[in-house]
Amino acid sequence: MNTKKVYSERKQRNNFLFLRSAFFSLLTSVFCLSLLFLFSCQSQTRQSKENTPGAQTKAVSELPPVTQIDASGLKDLLKPNGKPLLINFWATWCGPCREEFPDLVRIGANYKGQIDLITVSLDDLSEINGEVPKFLAQMKSESPGYLLKTQDEDAAIGLVSKDWQGGLPFTILFNAQGETVYSKQGKFEADVLVAEIEKL
Amino acid sequence: MKKLGFLAAAIFAIVAIVAGTAFVYFNNAKWNEDTNAYADLAVGATVDNFSLVDTNGAEKSFNDLKGKNGAILVFVSAQCPVVKQYNERISGFAADFAAKGINVIGINSNHTESPEWVKSHAAEKYKFPVLIDKGNVLADKLGAEVTPETFYVNEKNVLIYHGAIDNSRSGGDITENYLRDAVEANLSGKPVARKNANAFGCNIKRV
Repeated sequence: MNTKKVYSERKQRNNFLFLRSAFFSLLTSVFCLSLLFLFSCQSQTRQSKENTPGAQTKAVSELPPVTQIDASGLKDLLKPNGKPLLINFWATWCGPCREEFPDLVRIGANYKGQIDLITVSLDDLSEINGEVPKFLAQMKSESPGYLLKTQDEDAAIGLVSKDWQGGLPFTILFNAQGETVYSKQGKFEADVLVAEIEKL
Repeated sequence: MKKLGFLAAAIFAIVAIVAGTAFVYFNNAKWNEDTNAYADLAVGATVDNFSLVDTNGAEKSFNDLKGKNGAILVFVSAQCPVVKQYNERISGFAADFAAKGINVIGINSNHTESPEWVKSHAAEKYKFPVLIDKGNVLADKLGAEVTPETFYVNEKNVLIYHGAIDNSRSGGDITENYLRDAVEANLSGKPVARKNANAFGCNIKRV
């Protein structure tokens, strides 16, 4: 056995080791990514566990509470409390609402303490312990969540803004005095909204 | 060498994450919706005659489509979940009102819905004509913002009622039949008690 052959065999073995380690690392990363994906999907099945007695897992306790309000409850929320207020009206069935929600959560986190952010769902009341908190949990929303149920939606819409005809989503920013400084029917423009918050 | 393997895997993971983020970002950024508020046509004002193409591409005028006692314009959508919940009720009043000389005309102003889609949806769901409001010209003129949203116009083209069909999206707990009440009051010569009623719905996707 000459040194050249030994060197060549070692090289081959090294190559094999490299390929094997690359393959297993790749496999591990794919596995991790799949786990991540599975984890994000799993939150959709959390709700079903909640109604099962004894299934008080950590995931369940993470579901945020959603408070039912009527028009007078909405009126109370709109009362100025000395802090600017950002309200987003949305529904799980509303595509644009779901699309803009991550931006809303980000803005809420960035301006925590400076403004109050609340979200008001217009979903069916039957979703108050279902799709609504499930979506809020998925979005990692930390803002108080409400569900508005009223027989006179026209009156509720009128309480919020004269420029609103009920289209979802709807986002409105009030200054500390309760005056409207920004409102948008349809998806809000995050940069415009942030600029308005900065001006407060 | 082992390190190289991990490096390759790490690069792969980073690329996957970046690609995923970029996909989400661009998918999001693709959405181009601008629904500024438009001035509503006030109840009592006259709706000018207009022409739009139907789902077969034929131009139709409002005056030709309206009934002897007027018409109801219903802004619809092929995908809005609220419209889906209302479709049965829309078909119901369309049949009832046609018998009273009031024709229902569907309007689709959503630029996000192709003419083919609007056509197949209309053929499946409605027996009344659906007009395609390209460039949301009519929606802007009337101040229509959501789906479903109705405009009840009498035989003289005067707007009698504008707004929601009733006060229940699900249809399970209707306590106010805004549109039916307006039609019935007007046909029997009584004043319409509620001339406007907003309700939550899908935004009209304007160009």
